[in-house]
Amino acid sequence: MPTERRRQAVAVVVAALLVAMAVGPAVVASRPAYEIPVREADDGARFADPGADAWLNTSSVEVPLASAPSGAPNASDVTAERANVRVVRTESELYVRLEWADPTANRSAAGPRQFPDKAAIELPVNASARPPISMGSTGTPVNVWVWSATGGTEELLAGGPGTTTRFANATVAANATHEDGHWAVVFHRDLHASNENRTDVALENDLNVAFAAWDGANMERGGHKAVSEWYYLPFAPDDGGPPYEAILWGIAGLAVVLVVATTIEGVRRARDDDGGN
Amino acid sequence: MSAEEASETPDGVDIADGIDHQVAMVMDLNKCVGCQTCTIACKNLWTDSGGREYMYWNNVETKPGEGYPRGWEELGGGWQSDDHTDRQVGEIPGGEDYGEPWEFDYESTLFTGESEHVEPEQDPQWGPNWEEDQGAGEYPNSYHFYLPRICNHCTHPSCVEACPRSAVYKRAEDGIVLVDQDRCRGYRYCVEGCPYKKIYYNAQRKKSEKCLFCYPRVEGEGPDGETHAPACAEQCPTQLRLVGFLDDPKGPIYKLVEEYGVALRLHPEFRTQPNVYYIPPFAPPQHSEDGETIDVERIPRNYLEDLFGEQVHDALDTIERHRTRVENGGESELMEILQDQNPARQYRLDVFEGGEGRAD
Repeated sequence: MPTERRRQAVAVVVAALLVAMAVGPAVVASRPAYEIPVREADDGARFADPGADAWLNTSSVEVPLASAPSGAPNASDVTAERANVRVVRTESELYVRLEWADPTANRSAAGPRQFPDKAAIELPVNASARPPISMGSTGTPVNVWVWSATGGTEELLAGGPGTTTRFANATVAANATHEDGHWAVVFHRDLHASNENRTDVALENDLNVAFAAWDGANMERGGHKAVSEWYYLPFAPDDGGPPYEAILWGIAGLAVVLVVATTIEGVRRARDDDGGN
Repeated sequence: MSAEEASETPDGVDIADGIDHQVAMVMDLNKCVGCQTCTIACKNLWTDSGGREYMYWNNVETKPGEGYPRGWEELGGGWQSDDHTDRQVGEIPGGEDYGEPWEFDYESTLFTGESEHVEPEQDPQWGPNWEEDQGAGEYPNSYHFYLPRICNHCTHPSCVEACPRSAVYKRAEDGIVLVDQDRCRGYRYCVEGCPYKKIYYNAQRKKSEKCLFCYPRVEGEGPDGETHAPACAEQCPTQLRLVGFLDDPKGPIYKLVEEYGVALRLHPEFRTQPNVYYIPPFAPPQHSEDGETIDVERIPRNYLEDLFGEQVHDALDTIERHRTRVENGGESELMEILQDQNPARQYRLDVFEGGEGRAD
């Protein structure tokens, strides 16, 4: 009987290991950090409204926001702490929905002390680049899509802090709602851009993307804003992960099995020896 | 500093790094009658529409008083120390502190006869010049004077440093401080940073704007092609302003500021080193209760010291000394400069490269 129990125990351990080997990589790789899943859809128009039902069953990511490094007075004092981000693409368009908490909707800049709420999406001009996150650099410029609660949308080009230049015509559109103390904004733009200073979303490489929010009630503007780190949209073709990934997992699994089997065998022999004495 | 003590050379004049020459203006507060002609000259030229209605790049306020915008002297800005490394935190004035532009129903008074008076359509509670002539003190020793103010085109402008986009700059040829309208994104850090609150936000254009020292006039860009002093100066009925360069040793500004030390900066403690200077005001002495003149100054020296710093004592003493000299039949270059009515000497803007030699 003891021998039979040992065999059963070994079988259970081996089976568990096999299951772990099969499921482990899939679980670990289900959503790499900083990845924002992109839903593919046929009809983009139904996502233009941030309140549309179509967004409900679109995966979201909670993106932490923190004050941007800036020399502006009170720059460390920002309101937004996180943004909920959802992304949809069609064959020709990209839709990005941001939602964040802001108790007051500041839609006016009509007075000298009034600043509107704003949100922005930063993308590298070269879709395969990873520029410095603070507005890029001369060699790796960024595009910034800016929505303002005053109703306007801007498209900017920047090559470092303080260098933002506005495109004469924005090719980005944005729609926004403010409900229950939350702003929800959908930016959308054609995937492909004809201008070389605009990000061309070619679906060949993962695309870096970062987010920012300004609380007008807190007089946030310019560099005084809440920003994310770089995230990315997984546009690179799915090749099952790096080629060495399966090999590494296999070696690791075999090593675990070997260690367990050796341990069990060692324990069994020790008991047998004890029984012989 | 008196003429006898003066030893400064133009090289000793402190102008900003990278600036060829520094425009400057001296305003003699003893000549200001508060008529606001300068204000209107400026407004008609630069700020009569397009989101600038509330702006007065040139204003004349009554002192003591809250001024324009209300309470500007308490709103911060400027520098923490004379090494000009750390700025003093400042605030943006509220719209109500400037005073919203009033609308008037001319139609019902002037054309239809429905109203007897032209009145503001709103019920204003504050505005520029709201407290005109109010001043301070008790009868018979109440006092006030007028303080015309424009951008000071400072040697160390904290507005320039405050802008994260380098949209505010001090131009190299003459030190005029300007806002690059293409670079400005309306963040208003310059409005916060200026301790004199002489940069204004245009909510229609979403840009900040300011006094530009009438640089097209200074450059002779008008129809006659001639160099002109800023409109506020040339339109002044009492000709209280001198315009020229601080580093022009033959000019009256250099003499008043550097040699005689009688033209002073407003609130030097803000440490931006303004290039608009003021001849401090004199007033008749106080009266006793029975109407007799007594030997007590009407405008308290400590108030003038609050405005112009400790130098005000020497400045007033110097002017008094020279005035007495002339009263006694003597001569004084200082008194001649202060009473000069020759425009060629009042406005010396052609003295450097490219100048027409208007001043001689």
